[in-house]
Amino acid sequence: MSKLYACIISTDIKRDKTSLEAVARQFSYLIEMLDDGILFDVSGLERLIGKPDRVAHKILDELEKQNIAGSIAVAETVETAVLLARQGDGLNSIHSPETFQQLLLASLPIEQDTLNIFSELGLRRVEDLLAVPKDDLINRYGRAFSNVVDVIEQKGRQLLTPNVKDGEISWSYHLDSPVEDFEQLIFLLNHGLEKLFSEIARLALSTEQLDISFKLRNKVRKTYEIKTSFPTLERTFWLKLINLRVALDPPESEILAVDVVSHFTKPRPAQKGLYAVSRPEPERLLLTVNKLKKLVGEENVGVPKILNERIAEAFVLDADAMPKGRERIEIKDEKAVIAFSYFHPPVRAEVLVRDGRLVFIKTCYFEGHVSECSGVWKANSKWWDRSWKTEEWDVGIENQGVYRLSKAGNEWFLVGEYD
Amino acid sequence: MSHLSLVKNLSHLQEEQRFVDEILLETSGLALIRGSVAEIAGEPSSGKTAISLSFLAKLTAAGEICAVVDSCNSFDPRSAVLAGVELENLLWVKCGGDIEKAFLSADYLVQAKGFGAIWLNLNGLPQRNLRMVPKTYWYRYRNRIKETPTLLLVTAEEPVTGSASQQSFLFSREGASWSGSGRFKLLREFQIRMNSRKQFFREPLRTMIEADYSDV
Repeated sequence: MSKLYACIISTDIKRDKTSLEAVARQFSYLIEMLDDGILFDVSGLERLIGKPDRVAHKILDELEKQNIAGSIAVAETVETAVLLARQGDGLNSIHSPETFQQLLLASLPIEQDTLNIFSELGLRRVEDLLAVPKDDLINRYGRAFSNVVDVIEQKGRQLLTPNVKDGEISWSYHLDSPVEDFEQLIFLLNHGLEKLFSEIARLALSTEQLDISFKLRNKVRKTYEIKTSFPTLERTFWLKLINLRVALDPPESEILAVDVVSHFTKPRPAQKGLYAVSRPEPERLLLTVNKLKKLVGEENVGVPKILNERIAEAFVLDADAMPKGRERIEIKDEKAVIAFSYFHPPVRAEVLVRDGRLVFIKTCYFEGHVSECSGVWKANSKWWDRSWKTEEWDVGIENQGVYRLSKAGNEWFLVGEYD
Repeated sequence: MSHLSLVKNLSHLQEEQRFVDEILLETSGLALIRGSVAEIAGEPSSGKTAISLSFLAKLTAAGEICAVVDSCNSFDPRSAVLAGVELENLLWVKCGGDIEKAFLSADYLVQAKGFGAIWLNLNGLPQRNLRMVPKTYWYRYRNRIKETPTLLLVTAEEPVTGSASQQSFLFSREGASWSGSGRFKLLREFQIRMNSRKQFFREPLRTMIEADYSDV
């Protein structure tokens, strides 16, 4: 599918900037503000409006509604659209790509010396230059001139660089009477999200951030910034996510008004294949993680992370991270290794030591003779700011398991089990 | 007309239960079936955790997302890395010894569908409390995950899932090897015996689990 760009060049950009942006927004959300006008992507509008000239007329109608003047061009490349629009006299005029060949060479990015030579040779318009073999032109003026050749052949590679901030739309509702419980507002929010999302869907866009703001009775505003790692317009998913987020940190006072701001983004491309491995849908995963956080606490759900420190339990739970589902490239041998399981809290033990050897261990759960023992190991290796106080042994206990025994001061503990 | 019968014969039912996809550990010969509840029970130091981590390693290495319901905060990520688990594909839920939270967490995860495996680690919870859990919970899990690719792996000191689990194993340690002598010893390996509780006439499997002292 070919691309299509529209350009409007204004006589007074300072005065018309806001109006031009409003006009461009009617057609696209990929907008680049130029020094003398505005450029925007109108690809795909052929299906809705018609051929490029009809799109140009539609833009002209919008300009007239806003009472601003400008010259319009719609073309398949950025350079063609901009060059054509700049040919205008600033009045409401449309320049079709068919007139491109009539453009003066002076409007192209060609050095003045080269232009003078072209003028002496009688080459003044694009059509004149097109008649010259392009290989000869490139041989004579260098590789850089191939860019000019691309422009005159309407094969320009310049891309539109959106420099207008991504859009956002908002919805707000002032309640007749204050509401204490947020859950009572869910139906109302559902209505608001329906409106917002239908507007976003109309623009063929999606959202991955909602800002919810409550005006509270104590004249304070409570704001929640809810983000997902993927764009979606699934209303029930967002409602559940909002509900979980608000439940984790409920407003302190009664709610008087609700404001919702939705930030636009491009929709998510989804590809489902026969060979895809098992992963929960991103929406379901995010909701499940939030449900779990509500159940067991925010700090208790996440992805494990190893710390590069030589301390006991050198790992943390990263509550902000989500499982990524990334495949490992390197192939490792499959092997089962003895794993360690921690006792939280450590199990207090009574230990009988005879001739410097561990003989018998008694805890509130079991007791037995020490059949095997290795150690002593010095644990807790932050030796630069504390002394070696903890000693550890690996002990096998008769008719029981293999445990890690720790001695801190005069106290003995079983800190975990080898399993 | 036999295919129209409401009462299906036993062989048909057995065939229906078998999900085509199995997760096989080549080193031990143990295979667990996706879309079912599997249970590993055993005394302390019988290799339950090691074998569970091996299953998680196999799945997470392929890019599947797995979850650990850590009922007593006993999970050691360093052991998991040594076993080959890709930590960034693992969701860790710490339940702090609360049995109710552990079961509800597993329920939420089962409902999410799409996890490669959910490991419900009940090691360390008092057996008295575990016996009080209604059996219906296990059937609820079974119904939720059938026809999904998820494996619900339950580990505990004693069997708890009853007939809701499609596979149930009882692990025991036949021996432990230590190297060195005197005070200079190191734990080297466990010899593990794996009895199936659902297939009485099957020979028990045996495997060895080695200690790995390499740095993570």
